[in-house]
Amino acid sequence: MRKKPTRKRSDRYRLFRIVILAGLLMTLGLIFLVSTLGSQNFGPLHKLVLEAMGPLQKAVTLSSSYLETFKSEYIDILQDSLRLREENKRLVQQLQENENILNKSREAMATNASLRKLLEFKNSLDQQQMVATTIVGKDPSAMFRSVIIDRGSNSGVGRGNPVVNSDGVVGQVFAVTPNYAKVLLAIAPSSAIDVLLQKSRVRGILKGNGTLTYRLEYILKTAEVEEGDHVVTAGYGGIFPTGLQVGVISKIIKKPRGMFHEIEVTPSVDYQKLENLLILQQPQLGEIKQMEQR
Amino acid sequence: MVVLHFIAVGVVLAILQTTVCMRTPVSFLAPDFYYVLVAYLALRLDVLRSLVILFPLACVLDVLSGTILGTYALICFGGYFFLRQLAGKLPVNELLYELPLISLSFLAVSWAVYLFLELFQPGQQAAWSWWKILARMLLVALCSYPLFLFFDLIQKYSQRSFLSWGKLRLRSDNRRRRT
Repeated sequence: MRKKPTRKRSDRYRLFRIVILAGLLMTLGLIFLVSTLGSQNFGPLHKLVLEAMGPLQKAVTLSSSYLETFKSEYIDILQDSLRLREENKRLVQQLQENENILNKSREAMATNASLRKLLEFKNSLDQQQMVATTIVGKDPSAMFRSVIIDRGSNSGVGRGNPVVNSDGVVGQVFAVTPNYAKVLLAIAPSSAIDVLLQKSRVRGILKGNGTLTYRLEYILKTAEVEEGDHVVTAGYGGIFPTGLQVGVISKIIKKPRGMFHEIEVTPSVDYQKLENLLILQQPQLGEIKQMEQR
Repeated sequence: MVVLHFIAVGVVLAILQTTVCMRTPVSFLAPDFYYVLVAYLALRLDVLRSLVILFPLACVLDVLSGTILGTYALICFGGYFFLRQLAGKLPVNELLYELPLISLSFLAVSWAVYLFLELFQPGQQAAWSWWKILARMLLVALCSYPLFLFFDLIQKYSQRSFLSWGKLRLRSDNRRRRT
């Protein structure tokens, strides 16, 4: 029974204390507002607050700048390196593509130049029917010299047709199938072509010897022959047209015995770079063969 | 299957030799793959199947190369029987010991064929050149080891029959009963 008035009293005191505290705080706030707004002075309180806040600000600023530096030094570098790697990869790929394009264009230019040369040569041979062809296979044996070309009887190629390129005589068609043909190169040991010395008009037989030179035979010792003389096709027999470039005399071996000179001829054709060829079609060749058979 | 596989391999080797390995028409450093196949057949396969493989191989080579038909048939069959005779008298048949034999037989057969052609078709082939033929001999010896391993693989692969009769045979339900 005695406890109730005690609790009531303490409740009253608490309420009183709260009211007093709130009034004090409101008064202080009012004083602060009036003093701040009224005098506009950076008073001691402000200074105190600033002194208290300053180190915190400093710490936060420093740590943020440290973080910024760390970010810029490490994370950005990492990001940059990743970006650079991708960029590098892209640039390398681009470079490879460009190199490929460059190679292709270089190849196209070289082919173009070669074909242009061949076309000029073709135009220079008037009224001569010819077929352009490409080498598809080469003879690997050490004893023979022949190539396989991608044109055959379906394109009008016949056995015995002369094969030339822009530099001169390459050889002769040796065997024919509907779509392919075998060409006996002029440097083959079994090849023999009727030729003339362009300057002196002396006639001889040009034979291959399996190497990169020809052998010119049956030139009499009495004939005028000099190193550097041009050798051209004679046109006898109706297989090769007259005047096709064959080579240049590079060596004359004069022997005391025998009737004929031993002459070495350097081919006008570069056999190391054979690629595109022309086959000269000879309409009268069939007739010649028929006559030979009779 | 072995025969068909080796014919296909022979044709591929001949094509490789006449295209990829021949940079220029006068290049002499073209490895004679076909001769390695001939040597393999002589040293590792029975006569009947070897001859069936050699006929088309020699024919393809004669078509793609040379101007005298039958030259490659001479080289292939000559090399085959020569090597077969020699191999029968050898006490060992390890590949490493056989390499010099293969390259020497290549030299011997090339020389014999050259002489034969000089006798019957004089002036139709290039003059004999020792350094060229020695270089080719060396190439044959170098190619032989990897190619023999490759041919062994092909033979092993070919002997695994795809459609063995055992797989196709109908079995009765009674496994103990012998049909």
